[in-house]
Amino acid sequence: MSVSGIEIQIPRNALALLMVAQAMVVGPHSQQLSPWIMGVCLICGLWRWMVYQGRWDFPRRWLKGSLVVASVIAVALSGTNTFSLEMATSLLILAFALKLVEMKSVRDAYLVIYLSYFIIATEFLFSQSIGMAAYELLAAVTVTAAMVGMNQMHTKVRPMASFKLASALIFQTLPLVLVLFLFFPRIAPLWSIPLPGGAKTGISDTVTPGDIAKLSRSEEIAFRVEFKSKIPPTSQLYWRGLVYSHFNEGAWTQARRLHKGAEEGVIWGGEVAKIMSQGSSQRRQPQRYSRGAPVSYEVLLEPTQSKWLFGLALPVAAHNQETQFGQNDIGLTRDFRLLSRKPVGALLRYQVDSYPEVPMDLTLPRWLKERETRLPVNDNPRMRAYARQQFAKSNGIESFAQNILLDIRKGQYRYTLSPPTLPRKNSIDNFWFDTQAGFCSHYAGAFVYMMRAAGIPARMVGGYQGGEFNPRGKYFVVRQMDAHAWAEIWVSGRGWVRYDPTSAVAPERIEHGLDAALSSEDLSILSAFTKARISNFAGLADVIYVIDSIGHNWNLWVVGYDPDVQAKYLSQLIGDISPGKVAIVLLVGASLSMGLVVIALFWRRRKNRMLPVLKIFIRFSKGVKRFGFVRESSESPAQFIARIDPSQHALVAQLDHLLYNSSKSSSIELNLLRKRLRKLQVAVALGLIKEYETA
Amino acid sequence: MSEQFPGGFVQKRFGGWLEKRIPRASQITLNQQSIFIFPTPRGLVFGGLIVLLILGAINYQNSLVYAVAFLLGSLFLVTILHTFRNLSRVCIEFTGAPGGYVGEEIEFGIRVSRPAGASKEGIRVAWPNTVKQWVDIHEKEACGIKLFVGGAHRGWFDPGRLLIETYYPLGLLRAWTWVDLAAIALVYPKPIFGGSPVESATQKDEGELVDPLGSDDFRDIRDYQPGDPVKHILWKSYARTGKPVIKQYGSYLDPRFMINWDAVAGDTEERLSRLTGLALDADRSQRDFGLDIPGIRIEPGAGAGHLKRVLRELALFGVEGASPAPKQGRAS
Repeated sequence: MSVSGIEIQIPRNALALLMVAQAMVVGPHSQQLSPWIMGVCLICGLWRWMVYQGRWDFPRRWLKGSLVVASVIAVALSGTNTFSLEMATSLLILAFALKLVEMKSVRDAYLVIYLSYFIIATEFLFSQSIGMAAYELLAAVTVTAAMVGMNQMHTKVRPMASFKLASALIFQTLPLVLVLFLFFPRIAPLWSIPLPGGAKTGISDTVTPGDIAKLSRSEEIAFRVEFKSKIPPTSQLYWRGLVYSHFNEGAWTQARRLHKGAEEGVIWGGEVAKIMSQGSSQRRQPQRYSRGAPVSYEVLLEPTQSKWLFGLALPVAAHNQETQFGQNDIGLTRDFRLLSRKPVGALLRYQVDSYPEVPMDLTLPRWLKERETRLPVNDNPRMRAYARQQFAKSNGIESFAQNILLDIRKGQYRYTLSPPTLPRKNSIDNFWFDTQAGFCSHYAGAFVYMMRAAGIPARMVGGYQGGEFNPRGKYFVVRQMDAHAWAEIWVSGRGWVRYDPTSAVAPERIEHGLDAALSSEDLSILSAFTKARISNFAGLADVIYVIDSIGHNWNLWVVGYDPDVQAKYLSQLIGDISPGKVAIVLLVGASLSMGLVVIALFWRRRKNRMLPVLKIFIRFSKGVKRFGFVRESSESPAQFIARIDPSQHALVAQLDHLLYNSSKSSSIELNLLRKRLRKLQVAVALGLIKEYETA
Repeated sequence: MSEQFPGGFVQKRFGGWLEKRIPRASQITLNQQSIFIFPTPRGLVFGGLIVLLILGAINYQNSLVYAVAFLLGSLFLVTILHTFRNLSRVCIEFTGAPGGYVGEEIEFGIRVSRPAGASKEGIRVAWPNTVKQWVDIHEKEACGIKLFVGGAHRGWFDPGRLLIETYYPLGLLRAWTWVDLAAIALVYPKPIFGGSPVESATQKDEGELVDPLGSDDFRDIRDYQPGDPVKHILWKSYARTGKPVIKQYGSYLDPRFMINWDAVAGDTEERLSRLTGLALDADRSQRDFGLDIPGIRIEPGAGAGHLKRVLRELALFGVEGASPAPKQGRAS
């Protein structure tokens, strides 16, 4: 192959586009990566720009070598986990940046282009929002434009031409992308992979009073829920996520396994349905409760990087028998919570049937009872004594619980987002008897502590309460600010019963959401956006509802389009799903969408070569024909007009001028002509001009 | 995929197949029968990238990574159409070759024209084993280019099939074709100058004056002008009249100069080369000359047409089938 020198050089046009594309592609990763990596990217970009300008030279080989070694060492030392996604991305971006300063040949440029596409894809592992998707689409067009530029004339710098063609190319792919997205078979993961770590968001598995108060300032969306059945009242929407059974040094944590034989196993996938008729610890006892109608809903959970999922009491994850996928990775724990097998690193979509009437743990095994009554020995002596005394006065467990709630309601207790700090030792004593100001976890903690002190099995439950109904999209939005903690106590014959001490101190919190319960002082620490959202200004609220429902639909149709959803829609379309049928659907869809592109590219439009002046005139002739004015074949258009109305000198002159200088006719002139002719036509139609006798 | 037009056994079979598929014609409009299309190595790597992305999408169960993979896959498919379209309905025409000498790069004129309403970019045109020439047709309907091929032999020279290819728009695919434009050029012997012609300038002061400042024959007397050689001044006359005059000399050539086979030495090719050199010399000095080689005699004459005739006879001396058409297959 004979290659002239010009062919292995990167066209400047493409190079400029490539540098822009690289900046665009790396940009969003600044959220995940250490700042120094971004610094390296900037320096490399600057260096390449100076080389492009012809001011600097490419770095020497030794310098490049030491940069590579230094980068690898820096990544190793930076503390990201080995084999984590962050580490892989860091290395990828660094390699990408360093490649930039040694990019000389077309081959290098293509490597950079391919890496750019890859980096666009990796960004979606961290965020799949609609805004990010739009941004990355633009980035993809720019990268494609750089690739187009590689194949355009070397001597001209015209990035806009490349960009236009790239946009056309991407636009033409869209029908096919849609077909592939909908029908390309989605299959289960082939091997396990490192998931994006990142900061865990939402509720954590350790609660010290104050944690949830911090969450309450966050406007971020935790999850959205679409109810398939009747929507329960907001005050009943207790989204259970975590159960805290262990208390130590002022912090509540999830229970550790007491002993090996303890029946704590998580029941996965299809097995979950069985818990419905027989709890694992009650296998031999005939059940005497009615199941009641389930509350069915679908949850679209935003990434939490944690394993716990949220559901209403006694949740059973719907199991798709056909695909055997997805929901198999959702299990039910011994304390009746939903659990994901893997940390939720991306939007997770799951369907749940909840049975609020089915009791949890009709009988309590001994090990469990032991666990749910355990307290550290030398902590909160005042509280302990007070609880025992109160219990002795009460008539049974439930009246004891009611008395405590009454205490809270009648006492000087305050509900606040910024309570005074509590010591780690004797924290509950301190709160209950001294500060008397707290958030939901303070009250729930104190309540559970008192129960346990009286020997009643009790535990703290964490999750979210309520949510905001979006009337536009007919779904609930649950935000981090809806995070909540409450208590469950075990009552013989009823199982675990929910008590929410917060409802005693701030009933509005449960009825109307967080903002209703807050003092003006608390409200002032919320973000401006939150304030706008919870304000009663209807117009703004509606706009926010619409925006949010766009995000919700994006989650529903794009991000959450998983194998289960695909199977559902496919079976609606083609009945039983078989590989052959799917192949036919794919083939037909792909042919149709490619056919569209073929028509767009190869359809030879018949050129309408008629002059605009003539077009206007012909329309006029047809218009006046009905009134008896017919142009003689020997007449010129100007003569015809002159015959109709001899006074139209200006019109005749203009028509002649435009007909014989057609190349110069401007749209203004044409408009004027059109107007004049229309006037004449109206005059003819109104009979102001009588038919002229032709010779 | 070989870049060169091939020459082995398999390639001969391929050549025969190509002959039927794209027959010889001096003008060819490319269509789906004549355009081949295949991914480039870069395109195959692009395919690998798509597979990698799909694996990532499966393992991460990430819808938008799927979307990126699908976008790139569709881009590849759409590009097939664009690459094909860039050659489709392009008209290639051989516009003539002025001829050249053995050892020179022989020039061929090619005209590439586009259909109305579809501008063409990044088309590359080349004879086998030569540098590819880049063709863009935007504003104009057609573009004339000159292609040069080296290594020609004396006589009729057929450069073979012409390669038309394009990687446009993304470089992922190559659409190409080999067209036989029946392009042919006459290649003259490589001229050797400075041969010793037996007949040189005549001694007689007749014939055509070829060198007005030659020193062979006295021609005339005229007034001295600054710059005239001092030794030509007629001193006697200067002494007599006080006005310097100079003697003018000139060279005269035989008007009936024949370039003769026997006047030069060497084997056939060398003789032809020397004769060519003589003919060019004679033409350059605007002298009438004729050609006398075994079997062919051209009476003396002058001018571009005459030179062409002489050179043509020299080029085709001893070449079988001296007439260019009809030509059977590729000259090898």
